[in-house]
Amino acid sequence: MAEKVAKSNVKIGQGAVVCAESDLQGDITIGAKTVVHPKATIIAEAGPIIIGDYNLIEEQSHIINKKVTDADGSTMCVMIIGNHNVFEVGSYVEALKIGDGNVLEAKCKLGRLTELTNGCIIGPMCEVNIQETLPENTVIYGSNCNRRVQSDRPPTQALQLEFLAKILPNYHHLRRPTKTLPKLNP
Amino acid sequence: MAAYMEWERCLLDCSCGVSEPISRLYFCRYCLKLRCRECVSHEVDSHYCPNCLENTTSAEAKMRKNRCPNCFDCPSCKHTLSTRATTTVITDPTDKTKTTTKKVYYLACGFCRWTTRDVAMPDMTVATGGLKELENPHANWIGGVLEYYMELGQLEKVQRDKKKYAKRKTHLNLSDKYGLTSVVAKKRGMLSPASLQLKEQADKVKVRDISNRDASDAVEPLSQDYYTTDCILSDITTISQRLALVELQPEQTKNLFPSRKLLIIRRSHRCKECEHNLTKSDFNPSSIKFKIQMVAIQHIPEIRFIKPPMLVFNEESEVVLTLTNPTVIQSHVNLLPSNKENDKLVTAELVLPSSELILAPKDETVTDYGEEPSDGSAYQDDPSIVTFRKANKIGVSVKVKPTIESGNVWIAFILSHQYTNMTPMLKSESSGVSTFQLEHLVHVNLGQVSDSTAGSHSPGSRPN
Repeated sequence: MAEKVAKSNVKIGQGAVVCAESDLQGDITIGAKTVVHPKATIIAEAGPIIIGDYNLIEEQSHIINKKVTDADGSTMCVMIIGNHNVFEVGSYVEALKIGDGNVLEAKCKLGRLTELTNGCIIGPMCEVNIQETLPENTVIYGSNCNRRVQSDRPPTQALQLEFLAKILPNYHHLRRPTKTLPKLNP
Repeated sequence: MAAYMEWERCLLDCSCGVSEPISRLYFCRYCLKLRCRECVSHEVDSHYCPNCLENTTSAEAKMRKNRCPNCFDCPSCKHTLSTRATTTVITDPTDKTKTTTKKVYYLACGFCRWTTRDVAMPDMTVATGGLKELENPHANWIGGVLEYYMELGQLEKVQRDKKKYAKRKTHLNLSDKYGLTSVVAKKRGMLSPASLQLKEQADKVKVRDISNRDASDAVEPLSQDYYTTDCILSDITTISQRLALVELQPEQTKNLFPSRKLLIIRRSHRCKECEHNLTKSDFNPSSIKFKIQMVAIQHIPEIRFIKPPMLVFNEESEVVLTLTNPTVIQSHVNLLPSNKENDKLVTAELVLPSSELILAPKDETVTDYGEEPSDGSAYQDDPSIVTFRKANKIGVSVKVKPTIESGNVWIAFILSHQYTNMTPMLKSESSGVSTFQLEHLVHVNLGQVSDSTAGSHSPGSRPN
């Protein structure tokens, strides 16, 4: 088991499928029906991480609330991730605010200063770390990180989540959901 | 080790004088010469779509303007669009309570996530062929101009032909001398039918009246919106997006439309001098095999070197060149000094081995199937010249003395080897195979000259 027992405080919502082999450190809240694959890393260093419902966090993805060395230690940065997001394989996220319905494709990197609203798609291998709030339904693609605004939101992965919720327990040990979960703002 | 893989290091001279790596050269076995891409004529074999790999004849391709009928390109990023299906619920118009689910299709790009729904195009009811072709607003006028020019061309052709037959009019004059008019001559069948036809044609071809499109100075003034309203970059198309749709050239992203995919061609090469085919690929677009493949690498021994030498100005160092025999016949190779005068590229002196080198034939069981190569004990090798021998490859050591203080060290020599023509060209040849001695000029780039100060290594060489 790859967790640090000392500081880990993980609250898992009802129906969430969180594999035991995932690396969870710090104060983490995971919403209902969210699926966390094995080998996913969620590290809450500088503050708690709150993850919403129906998210899909795939293998080798890193969600890190990183401690910034030059910032004053008194401010607690809470990383809030909304619902229906997809963190594909190998994605690396340090952004503090992520809305709903975003797709972070394989091996993308999201810096601490960027904020995602709803329906954004960050393409594979794209690195976005400027201080900016990306408008809704933005698509970032290509080696030059070209941008486009879509008219529709990306389709949700509800089918995939259902499938995983059925299959993953057959092959992996899971963390049990905690009994009470405080209501979260999405 | 990387120098072994760099294919631009060892260059062979083509018969026209251009230096190219061996992988880029063709070998004409009728002229017995190397041919580069310039000495070869490229011909179009067939057209096919890069996505669906559908073969198209040239005439069909021309009719469709070299576009695939099934595949579309994303107007936003030029990748291929794929068809996606969703189900929608449609209420029956007669009975409001009944609802039926129907499958509708739309096109979507997997890379930039552009969909036909972004430009408010209605979803298609059929999976393929549902997309309506875009109408070119200028199609009528362009068609009219094309026909006008075709008629002009026809008229000019008729006039040209008339001049050719003009000499025959002398017998018409003759008959006029004797009082016969052309009408009477026609009755009596004395006029040649060809010249008669031409005359008739010339009268018939009437060029249509086409109105000129005059350029006018009057342009409507720029609207004030350009100065006052903010420019939303995501609404405006880029130049490459605009030019991809030449007929429309939309300025706004909401007017983008998928374009049909361009077809690409399969080439075959032909030697310019003897007109024989050098390469001819398979008809099937998904097959990479060749029907005829006469490339240099299959006939000429390949020269590479493994370890870049430590090159110091005016000091002799040893380089090991590897020679690989691509043929199934034992090959006798000689390395001769270069006879090219004033070769500006050469920057080193070279001492070559004087003896003949024997290369073992290529054994396919070793190269393709990885079996153990037979040891080279069958060949008596001078260890100072032949450093190693492995299957059809040998390592030859030569001595190099750079004549420049810094820069790339190039050496040149002539590779003289036997070429055996496996397939006889003419049936009348009594002997099945004929052997020729071929010579090629080779230039090898050995890397940078390192500084003579001790302890510094050039980037090309590796410390032992």
